[in-house]
Amino acid sequence: MAYLSTTDFTQDKDFIDKWLYTIRTGEMDLSWMKSATEKISPEEANPRRGLTYRDLNVGTYGYTDIPEKVRNNRSYAPRGAEIPEGVPDAQPWVSRKSELWAFNTESYYEEAVSRQWNATTDIPWDRLDGVELPEVTGKALSQLMTFLTEVEMIATDTPAMWLPRLNPDFIEVRAFIAAQAMDEARHAEVFRKRALTTGWGLMQASPINEMALKHLRDADSFSEMSVALHLVAEGNVLTLFRFSEYLSPTDVDKKIFRLVMQDEARHVGYGMQHFKYVLEHFPEKREVLHAHLDEAENISFAGAAATELTEAFIILAGGGLKKENIEQGIKVTTQFNLKQMQEHFERLDKCGMPERRERSKLYKMYEMGRAAAENAGIKLN
Amino acid sequence: MAISFPSTEYFEALKAQMAANEEKFRRLGFIDTTFGVSVGVNGKARNFVLEFEVFDLKNVSEVPSIDLKKVDFQIEGDTRVWREMIENIRRNGEADSSHDINTLAHFGEQLKIVYDDPDGHDKLYRFMESIQEFFDLSSKLEVSFN
Repeated sequence: MAYLSTTDFTQDKDFIDKWLYTIRTGEMDLSWMKSATEKISPEEANPRRGLTYRDLNVGTYGYTDIPEKVRNNRSYAPRGAEIPEGVPDAQPWVSRKSELWAFNTESYYEEAVSRQWNATTDIPWDRLDGVELPEVTGKALSQLMTFLTEVEMIATDTPAMWLPRLNPDFIEVRAFIAAQAMDEARHAEVFRKRALTTGWGLMQASPINEMALKHLRDADSFSEMSVALHLVAEGNVLTLFRFSEYLSPTDVDKKIFRLVMQDEARHVGYGMQHFKYVLEHFPEKREVLHAHLDEAENISFAGAAATELTEAFIILAGGGLKKENIEQGIKVTTQFNLKQMQEHFERLDKCGMPERRERSKLYKMYEMGRAAAENAGIKLN
Repeated sequence: MAISFPSTEYFEALKAQMAANEEKFRRLGFIDTTFGVSVGVNGKARNFVLEFEVFDLKNVSEVPSIDLKKVDFQIEGDTRVWREMIENIRRNGEADSSHDINTLAHFGEQLKIVYDDPDGHDKLYRFMESIQEFFDLSSKLEVSFN
């Protein structure tokens, strides 16, 4: 037990006497009814959408006026409530707004809630009845699903472990992060289900990718976690989901990837808007984030060495193991890898870090890879 | 009566179908994006801007050209590709695995996604299933191609 109450109430005579007195007399205190809090009348801006967090952005309950450094609430008191003496210090790690806020945070949460789906009932699993993929394709698909299940379990843990560390005044961010953990848990579920319905069971775990993913868990600050998870990792995974949808051998797989990409793109959106926010409001963080990106990009690049994944992609993209299949698979997989890198730098540019291309070793790898692809006659967009 | 593609009437008919299938789109969730559709016809383009809000297509307009700073992204392609996609949807009731938007656009060989802001670009994927289901409503229309 890490936390013990400062009082043993079952042995506290004053407390027990007061409890029995209330039962006996019905006398009530009611001082809480005099809480010095603001009275407001929130309204739905759009009745079709319903009452949103944005509609509650009013007065002391709103998020616009949250100070950069939250000093007056270190408890679980909801923002805007009266905080009496005696609430414990919940010891949040993150009480600085620019460390976690994103432009439009509240709408990302509302979108997440509205666009939830169900891996059990929204996927037409019955359409897999009678579908038998060739052994090579089936095993490659199962390897991809095995890898993605692994990815999504770490992607569930990472936002979830930050939740209790965030100051409760940032309720909208906390809600978004909780929704993200749910999204990732559903992704792990749907990929596990698809792996096991290939008929080949699970394939092999990926040491290189697990090493890369562990980096996400061990960030020193929320912003560093966000840049590594939301921007780098999920940016890459979003491109990977689009690529996987493109390669999917059945319309069931297409549906799975269309649904997971929606969630992933939302997480990337939050990551971009947080990255912009932190660069604008906490400029001292820029160098720290560059340093974290150095590491995140190195690890992201190392993912290409995970042969168990790359080879599965090559097989799925080329349609088999014959020479011509492999040539086609390598061509398409190279296009995908370069697209991942290109989109990563496009996002950083737009977030306000255009100098990243100069500093980044990954960008040099991108240019090298692009030149090699062009020399090999691989067309890039 | 057949509705001509490309035309504002075609997108208005999809809008009406979207409203008629409200339960399906409510289940898919909020769709808040404005994007362009550009259809190449004989070397020229006909351009449309579609504004989605909450669960609805709120507005459709045909414009001389699409300002990428005013839309999240633009889907562009030759009328041949659009026609093949719509006819495929009409045959199957929905796009088959070779004719969905992401597959046609993935490497920019059939349809192409163009954008100014990558955050806007990502909205295509944030609302992918709604956008796909929207175009799949073509299965309920009689469409003619000039």
